[in-house]
Amino acid sequence: MTEPSARRSRRGPATAQTVDALHGDLEALWDAAGHVPESDRMAFALAVVEAAGNVVVHAVPAAEAPIELEVDLAAGPHRLEATIYEIGAAPAQVDLGGAMPAADDESGRGLALIQALVSRVVFERHGDTNVWELCRECGPDPA
Amino acid sequence: MQFTVEQKPTFAHITGTGRLNMVGAPRLREVVADVVADGSTHVVVDLGGTEFMDSSGLGALIGCLKLARQAGGDLRIANVSPQVRMVLELTSMHRVLTPYASADEAFAGD
Repeated sequence: MTEPSARRSRRGPATAQTVDALHGDLEALWDAAGHVPESDRMAFALAVVEAAGNVVVHAVPAAEAPIELEVDLAAGPHRLEATIYEIGAAPAQVDLGGAMPAADDESGRGLALIQALVSRVVFERHGDTNVWELCRECGPDPA
Repeated sequence: MQFTVEQKPTFAHITGTGRLNMVGAPRLREVVADVVADGSTHVVVDLGGTEFMDSSGLGALIGCLKLARQAGGDLRIANVSPQVRMVLELTSMHRVLTPYASADEAFAGD
């Protein structure tokens, strides 16, 4: 096993602004992991943003304290990984096998997109936190 | 996300610069609602400066499309980046929101 070649992390309130700030973290990750092809960057970035956005929209606080969002990003030689923590969220279930909604629906595509963009997605309860784990293999861009 | 609106002879040309995500999507809805309310029901959203779109941004485009059609017009998109095209194709929404090469081409065949 080889260690990831680059890591970035962010923790903040579970808001659209924190999700928006992830783009800066992803850019910094790519700066440190220049070997990752553009197609993998695009796919992984969208999966991370969709999962973090799901937290902002759907996570319910377990108590009075607002939910915090932590996103850990890692780029290895052959694999991109993200771990997303819903800190302070009530236990939840997500339907990771859902299909795309009808064409005129304005929401409900995030989970299906994540499924299409990563090779592995897991949503689990760890202690008092809901945790997303995303993984995408990365390789040379097709010629 | 920054939006500019230019009234062309046959359509309203809306240019969006930045990220069409949870922050930018509500702004797009506001801009298109204002344009349609002012009587411009044929709208082109030019995404040439839109570096990123997620499902919330796509949802906003779908909502704006429905708004324009309900007003008797249509909304079309132009000049999309590879990232935006990826989102459209993964969701099969390119069949509904077909990307045009340029804003001027979007309604040229009507």
